Order: sequence, then structure tokens, then C-alpha cells
Amino acid sequence: MNAAITLWKKHMYKSMTNPEEAIGMLIQPVLWVVLFGVGMGSLLGETAPGAENNYITFMLPGIIALTALGGAIGGGTEWLNERLQGIVREYLAAPIPRMSILFGNASSAMTKSLLQAIVIMIVGVLIGATLSDNPLGWLGGLLLVAGYGLGFSGIAIAVASKTDSPGGYHMLIFMLNLPLLFLSNALYPLQTMPTWMEIAARFNPTTYVVTGMRIMTFGGSDALETVGTIPLWLCFVVVAIFLTFGMAMGYRAFKSSLK
Amino acid sequence: MHEKTQNGPTIETKGLVKMYGDEVLALDGIDLAIGANTIYSLLGPNGAGKTTTLSILTTLLEPTAGSAKVYGLDVVKQANEVRKRIGVTFQETVLDEALTGRQALDFHGKLYNQSTAMRQAKIEELLTLVELEDAADRKIRTYSGGMKRRLELIRGLMTEPDVLFLDEPTLGLDPQSRTRLGDYILDLKVNRGLTLLLTTHYMDEAQLLSDKVGIIDHGKIVAEGTPSELIEQMGEDVIQVEGQGDIGPFVEAVKALPFTQELSAANGVIQIGVDSGNRRLVQVVSIAGEKGFRIEDISVSKPTLGDVFLKYTGRQFRD
Repeated sequence: MNAAITLWKKHMYKSMTNPEEAIGMLIQPVLWVVLFGVGMGSLLGETAPGAENNYITFMLPGIIALTALGGAIGGGTEWLNERLQGIVREYLAAPIPRMSILFGNASSAMTKSLLQAIVIMIVGVLIGATLSDNPLGWLGGLLLVAGYGLGFSGIAIAVASKTDSPGGYHMLIFMLNLPLLFLSNALYPLQTMPTWMEIAARFNPTTYVVTGMRIMTFGGSDALETVGTIPLWLCFVVVAIFLTFGMAMGYRAFKSSLK
Repeated sequence: MHEKTQNGPTIETKGLVKMYGDEVLALDGIDLAIGANTIYSLLGPNGAGKTTTLSILTTLLEPTAGSAKVYGLDVVKQANEVRKRIGVTFQETVLDEALTGRQALDFHGKLYNQSTAMRQAKIEELLTLVELEDAADRKIRTYSGGMKRRLELIRGLMTEPDVLFLDEPTLGLDPQSRTRLGDYILDLKVNRGLTLLLTTHYMDEAQLLSDKVGIIDHGKIVAEGTPSELIEQMGEDVIQVEGQGDIGPFVEAVKALPFTQELSAANGVIQIGVDSGNRRLVQVVSIAGEKGFRIEDISVSKPTLGDVFLKYTGRQFRD
């Protein structure tokens, strides 16, 4: 645990003292919310029931999930860099559990995603989204994002352990990233999807993070979707399974890369 | 210093084999026994198995067969115990360039769970040892190659290891930095009682620093001994001949001469160990003439570790 904290601190220090990364980390989610949210919102504003800002409330959980995926991809990139530069060998020669190396990376990616999620929530509220009035709901939402981000970090680390080329890594990871985002109810409601897509979306963990956040964190978001079709407990269960699956996958790939 | 867990060699391998996949045999039965407070140099051409041996001993790789022990501790079964007792410097520079020298050392100490007071004391002591105090708070990306190597050396010493593994510690450094680093390495053995296993590319360095040398080629130790033992095998003097023509009859004839103590021919370079180079030179040249071998280059010298290396590996080290 100590070693994981040490590694977490180092990754955080490096990101926060790198101005491009630190500023980019804050600006990118704001751009998503403002550019995509406002554009789509005004398009839908005329056709969808309710006011324009309902779409912004609707899509904020999706943007947060997207940002968590981006954070995990960044963690995987860092992992690949450390592997290719040999920095990981400093960790491997140290008397620390192998799992702490993985966890140090994944938890720093997750921390950055959570910071971004908070920025998104603030910006969202500023441009008219409705947040639940229960702070526990905000925390619950962040908890789901954390689990989801860690799970995808494991997958990103697995991919970054298997390839030696940064180009190959990004290609593979975007192939996973796109369906995770678009085959879900992150940006459009389940009810309006064709059946095949809805079925796929129901097998996608993203749907459960997003739904959980809509239920807990963004109270007034049922203008475009009745969220009741997926119960909250199921959101936590699915995210927990995804987290376990991702971490196990990352750990296995990491172990086999040491052979 | 830790107590020894058992008597016997500090570093020991028995029949160490490493396969990469099903096809590449990187190590083909390495046996090593290195005593305490020794500098042992592993010499070999690229791809001979030096780094693989070090990677296994430092617990980064698991052997396919055979065993490796450090202080009697098995590097696979007791990997964590081994890790606590060793320091490592890798072949490539493995430094996070976004950190300062001091931060890199501090981070390393934290990984090993050292207390803050301990870390601070060690950092000051070690920075002074390699004269990096002034650069300590600069980002590593502003360091020269020699400074990075010195920083890596002391990073390996942060945790007060009993055994230090150095993979090509002076690779790519200018002669001045090499000499300086060599002095630090000797000091670690003499004044701190460390056991060091290093690989190097520089024969002069190996000859100067090592108590014992192992020459490794194709995953096997092909020669081992103190530098002077190995050099003595070569004869009093070495006549080195290069040329064109039929090499066979010439080599046979020279071999039959009574004063020839040693002869090897590899890659067109013939090394003849003789009792006295200057006296025998003329005879060697005339035999070459008789046998139709046209000499293009001939030299007489006292044998060096480089000549030993050439004899066993058929390759010359070019710095």
C-alpha cells in the first residue's frame, strides 16, 4: 500500500507540475461540455420535451464517463512510456508488491479523472444543468466513476503491456474506447435506439455508470429518459464487476510481460 | 550491513538457463560463484547473455532452468528478500527526467520504505560522494550523460545494499567520466565492503577494477579467472597478425614452432603467444612468406584482457 501511494504521488506530481498536461486536463472537459453540449442541446431543444438545458443535464454523466476513459488511456500511455524507457525496472527491482505498481498507475489516472469530473459538474451547473440537491448523490456518482475509471485503466494497462508501439497502443485502445462510449446511453437515451443497439448498450458498463449518475447525481435529468428501467443497485454491481475484470486483466498481462 | 544468511558465495548460480520463447537460448548453463567483497566483471559481446544474467540475479526475469542465489536467498522463491539487499544500475539510463536529482533519490528511498530522516541523510552523503550537490535541485533532463550515470550509481546505493549490480555503468561516457566512475566503484569495494557484479564493454576498465573476470559467449562462461591469470595464459608476448592468403598452412607451421605457447585465429586475426615477441617476429614473418600468407599488419605487444577476449569470443572490442 505504501508503495502504491509513493507511485501515486510521483505520477500526480509529474502531471501537476507539467503545465501543458495540467491545463489541458482542465480545459478539455470544459470544451466537451460547452461545444458539444450546447450544440447538441440547441439542436434537440426544439424537438425534445422540456427546456434546452435538459440535454446538458442528460449528457453530463456521459461526458464524465468519456473523461474517465480518457484518463485511463493517459495512464496506459504513461505505463507504456515507463515500460519502453525501462523506468518500470526501477519499480520491479524494489521490494514492493507487483500489484502496487499497477495500482499506483491506475489510481493516479483515476484521481485525475475525478478532478475532471468535478470540473465538469461545476461548468455544467454554470451553463444550466441541474444537479441533485443531495451531496451524497454526488459522492455516489464519483464512486461509480472511480470504479469505472480503474476498470478501464486495467484494460489500458493490459494493452500497454502487450504492445511495444505507442501507435499500436492508441489504435487498439480507441477501438475499445469508441463502442464503450457510443454503444451506451451516454449521449442518447436507450429508448430511442434501434433494438440491436439497445441490447448492446445494456451489456456495456458505461450505461450503468451513466445511469447511476443520472439517478444519484443529476436529479432532474429524466426529461429525455426514464431512468427507472435500470435499478441503482445494478449500476454498482456492474461497475464492481467491470472494475474486478479490468484489474485482473491488467495484472495478468503485466505478469506475463515479465516472463 | 546485513548478516549473511549462510556461508558460501555471495552470488551463486548453478546451471542457469534462459529461453526466450521456444527458440532463443539466451543462457546455456551459467555457473557463477562470487565471494564477498569482490568486484566481478562479466565480459562478452553483445547478445552473449550478460544482461540476461543480471536480470535474473536482480529478480526481473525468471530463469527457465537452474538456480540463482544472492546471499543464499533464491532469486525466484525469495525474490522480495533479495530485492531488499541489492542495488541495481541498468544498462540504459533509467531516470525520470521530469524529476530533480534529489527527487529521484527521495522517491527511490520511499519505494524501499526508508524513513524521511534516513532518506535525507543518505541523499546528502551520496550526493557528496559523487559530487552532484550543486546539480541536485535541477531537473534530470539538464544533466550530462556522466552526471546521469553518477546519479544512477548512487540511487542504487540509497538503500545501503550489500551487493551492487552494474550493467555497463560507463557505457557512452567520455574517458574522464569513466575514470571518475571507476574510482567510485573501487571505493565502494574497498571502503564500504560491497560485492559488485558488473558488465562492461571496456577491457582496460575490467582489467583495472576486477578481482575476477568471466568471459561469456553464446550464453556460456568460456573463461574465468583473475585478470592476471587470464592474461598469463596468452604467453609472455602476443604477436598479432592480419593478412591475406591461405591461413591454414601458416597457422599449422607457427603452431609447430617450439616457442609458440598459444595460438588462436578468428575472423582473420591470428594471435600468437610467444616467449619473446621481438626475437620471434622475424621467424613468424619468414614462415608467412614460405607458406604464401601475405601479412598486411603485424604487431607485438604485452597481452591484455582484450587479447584474451578476442581469443575466446573471436571478436574484438572496439571502443
